Amino acid sequence: MSYFVQLVVDGLATGSIYGALALAIVLVNRSTGMINFSQGALAVLSTFVAYAVVQAGGPLLLGLVVAVAFGVVLGAVLERLVVRRFEGGDPNTAVVATIGLLVLVSGIAGAIWSYDPRAFPSLFPNETLALGGVFVSVRSLGTTAVLVAVMVALQLLFRATKLGLAMRAVADNPGSSALSGLPVSRLLMLGWGIAAGLGAVAGVLVAPQLFISPTMLDFTLVYALAAAILGGLDSPLGAVVAGWFIGVVENLAGAYVDVIGNDLKIAVPFAAMIVVLVLRPQGLFGRRTVVRV
Amino acid sequence: MKSVQHPRRLSGAVALIGVTALLVSGCTREEASTPSSSGTAEASPGITDTTVSLGISSPLSGATAGPGSCTVAGLDSFLEAKNAEGGFTFGDGKTRKVTLEYLDDAYDPAKAVANFRQLVNKGIFAYVGALGTPTNAAVMPIANQQEVPQVLLTAGAGEFSDDQQANPWTSGFVPTYTTEGAAFGKLLVDANQPITVATLVQNDDYGTGYLDGFQSAIEGSQVKVLDSATYEPTDTSVDGQVTQLAASKADVLLSAVSVTPLQVGVLTKAQSLGWKPRIFLPSNTSTPATVLQPGGAAAYPDVYTPSFAKTPASPAFANDPDVQAYNTAFEQYGSKITKTYTPHCAWSYAEGAVLGEAFSTMEEPTREAFMTSLRSISGFQAPLLLDGITIDTTKEDQAAVFTVNLVRYNGTGYEPVQGY
Amino acid sequence: MAGALVRLRAARWSRPALALVVAVLLVLLPLVSSPYVNYQVTTMAVFAVALLGLNVVMGYAGQVSLGQSAFIGIGAYVAGYGTTHGWPLLLTFLLCCLLPGVVGMLVALAAARLRGLALAMVTIALPIVGTPVAKRLSDVTGGSQGLTVSWLDPPSWVALADDQWRYYVVVAIAAVVFLLTRNLVRGRVGRSFAIVRDNEAVALSMGISPYRTKVLAFTLASTIGGASGFLYLAVVQYTSPETLSFGTSINLVVAMVIGGSGSIAGAVLGAVYYVLVPVLAGQLDASRTALLSGAFLLLVLFVLPGGLVSLPRRVQQLLTRRRRRSATPSDDPGDRTGTPVLTSDGRTP
Repeated sequence: MSYFVQLVVDGLATGSIYGALALAIVLVNRSTGMINFSQGALAVLSTFVAYAVVQAGGPLLLGLVVAVAFGVVLGAVLERLVVRRFEGGDPNTAVVATIGLLVLVSGIAGAIWSYDPRAFPSLFPNETLALGGVFVSVRSLGTTAVLVAVMVALQLLFRATKLGLAMRAVADNPGSSALSGLPVSRLLMLGWGIAAGLGAVAGVLVAPQLFISPTMLDFTLVYALAAAILGGLDSPLGAVVAGWFIGVVENLAGAYVDVIGNDLKIAVPFAAMIVVLVLRPQGLFGRRTVVRV
Repeated sequence: MKSVQHPRRLSGAVALIGVTALLVSGCTREEASTPSSSGTAEASPGITDTTVSLGISSPLSGATAGPGSCTVAGLDSFLEAKNAEGGFTFGDGKTRKVTLEYLDDAYDPAKAVANFRQLVNKGIFAYVGALGTPTNAAVMPIANQQEVPQVLLTAGAGEFSDDQQANPWTSGFVPTYTTEGAAFGKLLVDANQPITVATLVQNDDYGTGYLDGFQSAIEGSQVKVLDSATYEPTDTSVDGQVTQLAASKADVLLSAVSVTPLQVGVLTKAQSLGWKPRIFLPSNTSTPATVLQPGGAAAYPDVYTPSFAKTPASPAFANDPDVQAYNTAFEQYGSKITKTYTPHCAWSYAEGAVLGEAFSTMEEPTREAFMTSLRSISGFQAPLLLDGITIDTTKEDQAAVFTVNLVRYNGTGYEPVQGY
Repeated sequence: MAGALVRLRAARWSRPALALVVAVLLVLLPLVSSPYVNYQVTTMAVFAVALLGLNVVMGYAGQVSLGQSAFIGIGAYVAGYGTTHGWPLLLTFLLCCLLPGVVGMLVALAAARLRGLALAMVTIALPIVGTPVAKRLSDVTGGSQGLTVSWLDPPSWVALADDQWRYYVVVAIAAVVFLLTRNLVRGRVGRSFAIVRDNEAVALSMGISPYRTKVLAFTLASTIGGASGFLYLAVVQYTSPETLSFGTSINLVVAMVIGGSGSIAGAVLGAVYYVLVPVLAGQLDASRTALLSGAFLLLVLFVLPGGLVSLPRRVQQLLTRRRRRSATPSDDPGDRTGTPVLTSDGRTP
């Protein structure tokens, strides 16, 4: 029994990593209506900034603050200078532009810091708690706690603040938002900025486990996208819950179903995602969008 | 209608220009050959009386770019340092400087093949030191068909060293994974007591090579494998696998994990579950500073690894002349290519010396003569190799390095093993 | 207007003439160029076919697919298996198209009701899951070591070198696939793709089932992808699970958009980009390829949001704008509606 619980706990810890990045994806989608493939790369670059602060002798918390500030500015600047060009055009072109950013930003990180993964300090002590035969690392608990806090904050931002409502309006329909007097372009910049800042938080949270490297989040991004879609692209709660779901299901399938094994366990969350989407295209927690003719 | 027709005609013109440009650049069908002034034999492409040109394609971007960049950086450091001293002395009495052309294949076999063809088209003499099993496997048949040396590969898959009759133009440099796995097995068997083992291996030729070597070594002994698990190099975490293996409570964990963060994850996870077996790490993820210290390896009773090269950053080797020469050369040349260290940097540096050794007995400026020289090195003490490890290329089914020393972690660095 | 009429008339004879010139050049090229150039052009043909398939589903039918690399991979494995087991070449080729086509159709049957990102995620599952499956089926696929095949050597009755023979085989098959696809997308099927892409409700009102149309587009895309897998093996002579990797799928989407979405010539230009940019980046600085190719990608998109295929239009547009500016300072809005170029641009000037 404790073996089963341990697998679930391990899965939740890994799922928190997926969820952290998925939150950033949801945020950018909610505030700009776009999918941003460069989300992971921006988070990595910001995390490298935190790394540089720590290398220079600064405390990690200062590094985190600097990284978040850097992320916000980076996101806003990229939106203004690069992404703006493609907004309102062919959505495929916009997506490819974010892929271009992904390649470019990882290339910049690689040119400065090279590719081999480096150890990254953790915000939380490297200790393990034993709770009735199940072991949980303090780091995972801390990561999950921060994740839940950020999720609640985002949920509040979008549901209960004027700013959040304005951002949603701009994402849904930039044209009529502009007509009703919203500062559309500033809100779009802000959306990208906040998402990239959140990415920096996610990066600093997961880097102690994944190690910092330009490709740190490349594959995690796939899981995070799956989590964001499965949860419903517009729901922070959905992104986090789906991240946990993927982490746990993957672990259990790998350990208990011999036919699947550790090599094919990745198929299970994807199969689940397909089934959910076919039955409920808006995802588990998403709201149905009405297609107008 | 016209606004649709019109651009199409223009795009046709673009295609036409493109094709014409290709035709022009494609120049001529005749094979360019540079005749040698030395007389006896006609020189192969890529070698003159004063220069020889080598090529390599390794992953220099993407997930495997850390080790990949090191296979270029270490080699380039050795070659450039030697060039700065005047060059390499060849068996025909001439002194030549070596140029190294390197390209990025991002671990994609199709790109590796394209890069290989591009390098051959540019006139390299030999293709050396490339990293990656699928990329080198894709290049191997073409290299052997075109009779271009594809040598001293930084890939431990057996297929590059097993059958030199079938692939006379291909050779491996680093010990095969099987060799490393067998070395572990032998240590356990020699202890002559019942030992239980759990294995975690990468789901590819790297992992199976390790396991094959290990299993054939322990066959019929008191060593038993209780449980095994695999992982994919793209996995975010191997905690689930470690939890699964920890349930076996085995005495020993063979962790053939090639990804640094995952290997650190294994070390942290197992001890956090209260499972503290003796641990075996492969040679490419056992650097104390990047794997063992972050993973808290001191908590385990013993951590072993096969080793054949000195770790330049280790304080134990701070006064070693090889290491000092390496550090100087790397600072000057290699650091332009990568700023992070993996053991591949040291390996490919040593590989440069092996090339120099082959050049020194090469009496004709031909690829055939090069292969003959390269295949007849034995007892060569290359720089950075541990004492007692020598290069021997005369074995028909082995890589250039086929012995490893098992070493044990002592909390700061490695020391020789006395036994299990 | 008269000028346009002349141009239209000129286009009527110049296009077949141009096609003939291009065809003759393509036939002559391998006889005079080096093996390396032949190899590169052959590789472009391989990826042009892969991009053509992707273009059918994304460019023409407007459905995102991040799974194209899986179909190349399946096609290459079928070709490899067929060759090593001595199947007739034609049968192998047909199976290379058929099997990926069936897989594509089955996935589409489940996924075609989805749109946008949900669809993208379902399709990305193909390479993500396909890679470990290919490793698992090691008896057929050679596992992670991959499958090396040496085939398609020139028959004894032709006096051609290896590279020339492979060039002709690959380019000929690619040309046939292009012609068939071109006829298809210019005909009734292509029109239904366009209608479904632009507005599904309109499609329904016209009696076109969006669902069936999308399934058809996916099936075609995966069939063509499988054909390119056959060609891939002919050129690379090796395949491994890495062929399926989702990174390749993403690079293909990039190349398709860069070449020109919804355009036959765009698929060719995209393939030229796909093959040449890594070479170019490697020439500039092999240890900075990611940085260089990312910068280059963004640069092209900035200048040509409609892809390389819009270059002539873009040049012409800039020229007319300059000419007009020097002639009359005021814009002529009536004329601008005639050129649909600006909409793909995403901005009004």
